[in-house]
Amino acid sequence: MAEKNREKEVIIPTMCASHCGGTCLLRVHVKDGVITRVETDDGEEPQLRACMRGRALRQRVYAPNRVLYPMKRKGERGEGKFERISWDEALDKVAAELKRVRENYGPKSILFLPMAGDLGSLHSIMTIDRLLSLAGGYTTWWGTTSFHGGVFASFLTYGTVFCSNTRNDLPNSRLIIMWGWNPAITQTGTNTAWFLARAKEGGTRIIAVDPCYGDTAAAFAEEWIPIKPGTDAAMAIAMAYVMIQENLHDQKFLDTYTVGFDKFREYVLGSEDGVAKTPTWAEAITGMPTATIERLARDYATTKPAALMSGIAPGRTTYGEQFHRATITLAAMTGNVGRSGGDAGARAWESILGGYPYKAMGLGAAIPFTFNPVEDLTKSDGVILGYTYPKIHYTRVADAILKGKAGGYPADYKMAFIVNCDYLNSLPNINKSVKALKELEFVVVEEQFMNTTARYADIILPTSTFVEREDIVFGVGMAYCGPQRKIIEPIVESKPHNDIAKALAVKMGIDNYDEETEEDRLKQLADMVDIPDYELFKEKGVHWIERSEPYVAFKQQIEDPKKHPFTTPSGKIEIYSQQIADINNPLIPPIPKYLEAWEGPNDPLAKKYPVQLITNHCKRRSNSQFDTFPWLRELVPQVISISVKDAEFRGIKDGDMVRVFNDRGETVLPARVTQRILPGVANLPEGAWYNPDEKGIDRAGSANILTRDEPSPAGSFPYNSVLVQIEKVEGVK
Amino acid sequence: MMQLGFYFDQSRCTGCFTCCVACKDWHDISAGPIRWVRVDTIEEGKFPDPFVAHIFSPCYQCEDPSCLKACPADAIVKRKEDGIVTVNQEECLGEDSCGAPCKDACPYGSPQFGDEESPRMQKCDLCREQWQEGKKPICVEACPMRALDAGPLSELKKKYGELKEGTGFVYSSEIKPSIIFKPKKNNIGKP
Repeated sequence: MAEKNREKEVIIPTMCASHCGGTCLLRVHVKDGVITRVETDDGEEPQLRACMRGRALRQRVYAPNRVLYPMKRKGERGEGKFERISWDEALDKVAAELKRVRENYGPKSILFLPMAGDLGSLHSIMTIDRLLSLAGGYTTWWGTTSFHGGVFASFLTYGTVFCSNTRNDLPNSRLIIMWGWNPAITQTGTNTAWFLARAKEGGTRIIAVDPCYGDTAAAFAEEWIPIKPGTDAAMAIAMAYVMIQENLHDQKFLDTYTVGFDKFREYVLGSEDGVAKTPTWAEAITGMPTATIERLARDYATTKPAALMSGIAPGRTTYGEQFHRATITLAAMTGNVGRSGGDAGARAWESILGGYPYKAMGLGAAIPFTFNPVEDLTKSDGVILGYTYPKIHYTRVADAILKGKAGGYPADYKMAFIVNCDYLNSLPNINKSVKALKELEFVVVEEQFMNTTARYADIILPTSTFVEREDIVFGVGMAYCGPQRKIIEPIVESKPHNDIAKALAVKMGIDNYDEETEEDRLKQLADMVDIPDYELFKEKGVHWIERSEPYVAFKQQIEDPKKHPFTTPSGKIEIYSQQIADINNPLIPPIPKYLEAWEGPNDPLAKKYPVQLITNHCKRRSNSQFDTFPWLRELVPQVISISVKDAEFRGIKDGDMVRVFNDRGETVLPARVTQRILPGVANLPEGAWYNPDEKGIDRAGSANILTRDEPSPAGSFPYNSVLVQIEKVEGVK
Repeated sequence: MMQLGFYFDQSRCTGCFTCCVACKDWHDISAGPIRWVRVDTIEEGKFPDPFVAHIFSPCYQCEDPSCLKACPADAIVKRKEDGIVTVNQEECLGEDSCGAPCKDACPYGSPQFGDEESPRMQKCDLCREQWQEGKKPICVEACPMRALDAGPLSELKKKYGELKEGTGFVYSSEIKPSIIFKPKKNNIGKP
């Protein structure tokens, strides 16, 4: 209760950065080495106030499902039975297995499967990356799960992934189009929703294009355009048609700063393929009325400045990269690039790749970079996509394990080293991934929690949370960084990532993992980003690099294009990309095009599975993180949202248990019947922890039991291109 | 008499629940039926014109609290110095003994009872200990949208106006909840 003795509490500031899109200040109260409660930023605006997930810190740190000791599997893999072992035994085993597999099958047989769950500069997945590189190399995956379409489009069109204005520029817009963008849930930088509120209060018009009426649209949008998933590029291209026909585009901007608009215009007007990309053409594809498309095109072209916020969810579809290429083209056509209040239209979720161009930033910035010796750039004809030999696309890892060389993959895969990655819950087609993990000779998982993936480990190495070690993390959406402090000792026998890597290096006989102390490493990083006083930085909690003036991407390129060309081969914004043309793949066209998605509304499979499933982010999770914390679970139950129309047709009432299934799997969970979703579409938030019953039917509502393990041609992850059927489960509540 | 109260900018609330979790952490309340602060969601309208609003529901520290009048043990007190309504748990008879008439009397669902045996009433007390340190309630400090404020009602009125109602909240002139609104209104179909 509130009255309990709180004397002797010490308050230590630290940054919460949990792959949620935010980097927020927590002022953590500690007493006798135990965290007692949490406050957030109460300083000068913009304060970095934490969300519900950050406030649930104690349920994270002291969770009953933390992995407390090194563990060794008992029984079958995946059965979830483990026994406690010593660090010595665990590391000996991992070192021996790495050696055995490398000597017997070669380094490519070792799969390193990391994910960005923990965003430290020192304590991150890059520790094991370095160690495995020093030990002779490994195979890892390629593709950026969350936003590969955006990365591809911005890199090829602008020559960089740093394409966004900082969020404090939003109130300078007169119109904000939130296209598949729901920052009240996905943050996309601490304070994004707050800046949207201030924009709206200052008279900015806000429009949402989205199959769902999400929390951000519900709070701020004056109009909701409920588009069919996977058809966004068609609508964007038809908007270009309207602008061209009505001469609303900024020809001078296009002439000065872009190449290839004429080729795009030919495609849009139909001289290339005989199909004019009119609003009527788009209406048939998107389900949105011609008049709506025309109105949005005119609004965007004539309201200046305007920010088209190109969310990353529409990019997580088949040909999702075309959506981002198309929105960039619209931003250029309207002259909103490089302009305060505008936006380059590339990707409105910057994370560790993009946003403010820090002098040093990102995962592992405090760890020396080590080249993976098995990588061969001369064999990497797909390097433009982000692929280098012998990487496997994330969606293909299970397939690669199951088929190996016989399936055309570069190696037969024998072991997996999984770090900070709930592989089973986060990647498509869980049933296939489970099968694949069972095939391996050895699986080691470095984790904080006994999550779905850890259950499939042979050895679990327990790692610590961000309040159990020192680190530095960076802001997304605004230019700042902050310390992560060792507020308490590592829980029981867990260790920070870098400590694990160092200890494992000794067992592996690697003596050059790192000769420097962690403090020196962090001080060096602090120097790189011009933190004047490291000790003061740790005390204060936040270091602002730029607090009041918005950073506007491409400002220099627009103001002085001769002196500051874009970093593309042509020096301009490449609406037509010769680099893409050189790939010579009709499914990766050199100008943005609408390509009809598989598992979209017109796929013949829709006869059997008529519902388009999208797998949004969930308010109480960050992907699969935070799923089990009671304070969060009680507020946001895991449900599948379906429209009233679809529910009535199936006799489903709000709260009824439903089965959601396709050929890949089945999950059972409660339905939420809502007016806030386009009929024909269902939304199952991803990340719930897969929990199969004896028949293999998932009982947790885990979305990736249903998703397809196949990449889009340019590498996008089709998490939102999924067809399913939904039925009421009789007699179950 | 001084009366402390809340200000709620309903037009800013995105329903993020940060206030709810911050409250549970600060007051060390486990997951379960005790919710000193609730955020309820109101959904109206039909596709493609839905309307959504959220309502922040703490204890509104009514000027004339109905829970106080209903309590058979006089366990509920309205503090003179700041108008905060508190419950003396030692004197509370417990739900099993008295049937919790306080709960029935409150139109806003503020009195809370746990799932332990014969639970005593508890509720939001506007983080009364925070004020002694010159601070505001933890939910106000927590709100990522800066949609909440708290202070003397007279000052809140000066700062934010006198609107007493929002979507999903009806002001009771009988008990006078201490809250000022910037409401979010459903304008669907209205010019």
